[in-house]
Amino acid sequence: MSEDVLERVKKVTAQVLGCDASTLTEETRFAGDLGAESLDSIKLVVAFDEEFGIEMEDDAALQVQNIGKAVAFIQKTIEEQK
Amino acid sequence: MRLVIYEDETYGRLYPLTYLRATFELRCGMHSAAERIAALFPDAEVAYHARGALAKILPQRYPDVSVNDAASLSGDVLLVNGRVIDRAVAAIAGETDTVWTKDGDVLAAAVSAEKAAAFYGSGSAAFLADAAAGLNQVEVDWRTVTWPWDLVNHNADLLTKDFAAAGRDGVDGDLHANSVILGNPNQLYIAPGADVLPLVCLDCREGPITIDEGAVVNPNTYIQGPCYIGRDTQIVGAKIREGCSIGPVCRVGGEVEESIIHGYSNKYHDGFLGHAYVGEWVNLGALTTNSDIKNDYSPVKVHAEGDFVDTGCIKVGCFIGDHTKTSIGTYFNTGTHVGLMTLLVGSGGVLPKFLPSFIWFAGGAITKGFGLNSLLETARAAMARRKRELTAEEEELIRAVHALTDEERRAAVKKDRRKLLGR
Repeated sequence: MSEDVLERVKKVTAQVLGCDASTLTEETRFAGDLGAESLDSIKLVVAFDEEFGIEMEDDAALQVQNIGKAVAFIQKTIEEQK
Repeated sequence: MRLVIYEDETYGRLYPLTYLRATFELRCGMHSAAERIAALFPDAEVAYHARGALAKILPQRYPDVSVNDAASLSGDVLLVNGRVIDRAVAAIAGETDTVWTKDGDVLAAAVSAEKAAAFYGSGSAAFLADAAAGLNQVEVDWRTVTWPWDLVNHNADLLTKDFAAAGRDGVDGDLHANSVILGNPNQLYIAPGADVLPLVCLDCREGPITIDEGAVVNPNTYIQGPCYIGRDTQIVGAKIREGCSIGPVCRVGGEVEESIIHGYSNKYHDGFLGHAYVGEWVNLGALTTNSDIKNDYSPVKVHAEGDFVDTGCIKVGCFIGDHTKTSIGTYFNTGTHVGLMTLLVGSGGVLPKFLPSFIWFAGGAITKGFGLNSLLETARAAMARRKRELTAEEEELIRAVHALTDEERRAAVKKDRRKLLGR
């Protein structure tokens, strides 16, 4: 499940931020490494919501800094919203 | 005599302007409706009655006024609807056992304290329908406010009438010798502490101008009456056309016409604002502009009470809720309803005509943005710049409005999701 979530997070990140999914790791930072700005952050949250059929809490979601933490947050949200 | 200025159950028609304030606090002319009504009954002791959600906020704003307190009533009571903006209401002073109506709406009632106490318990519509049965009924034609555009439409005329009623003219502040007055100088009043700097033209030919205490009018400004510039407001090189009321502690530049800015808001730079009502703590970024007439000159529709309402007017601007912020180059369509505490980023074209409260408009789409807590932090930062704090009661009210507007916001965000993602 976690591997699947990781791959899907990488795929969505690449689509939204226009980068190569194969270059992304759990440590890749959205802002620091991929140059995501505030609008990009909003798009990412919406795109993750759509991909996983969840609704992430805005404040907490927007604190997530990297792909690994995004995976953990999404998994937690999936569990909570089952 | 006790004068109770009340808000009736139609306050929702005046959203977004009444999310954080009572109907009778809205500005039209030189004053709010409550200020005007109270001044018309100078011997009365004033009390306010409004929806329960405002019960904690109103005493903070008006510490000397009884709010929603039936126990404070005694003797004869005059109930006046806070939507009345007509000075003719003064004629009812001294009347008893009478209700004044217009097209089925109760606009005022003169009752005993016992009957008025029942009013506090039952809400205005139920009480007045019941009480009216036992009272003399008089049909009147007083001017009232029902929709946000009514405030704008009546503003110029009320500015002229309020100026005449105030009975002040002349220069009690400073007027630089290199500024000019066009028209009759007794149609101008510059209050103590107000300062009109060089190269300002005050054009009173079409109506009076009041520049209130502490206001500053900077060079290269043209102000056309009727106009009211509020306390401690700065006009920073602007073209203020006829029919404008600018409340206290505002910063205004660019072009403004037939508009009301409630107070504590900024429109510092170039850009046009016309036939609009702007709430408090709004910041309009440079080149923010609204349309106030359609290209085909047809009547304008505005979103109100869940639907688009035909105003019957061809000149209608925008209605901007408190704490909204716009980026540079934000363009509003004719008749736009902008909710409370929105954050809007221009997209090159006009924004949607209905922007629900607390949304971010970014990337050409309505989004959740960074959520309510982030917006509250922005509000605190903006208020701190004017040495004001967001009180716990204000935050509680904002959170209540957030809950109230949740459904319409979710629907708009969901509708725009695919647009945001470019799908």
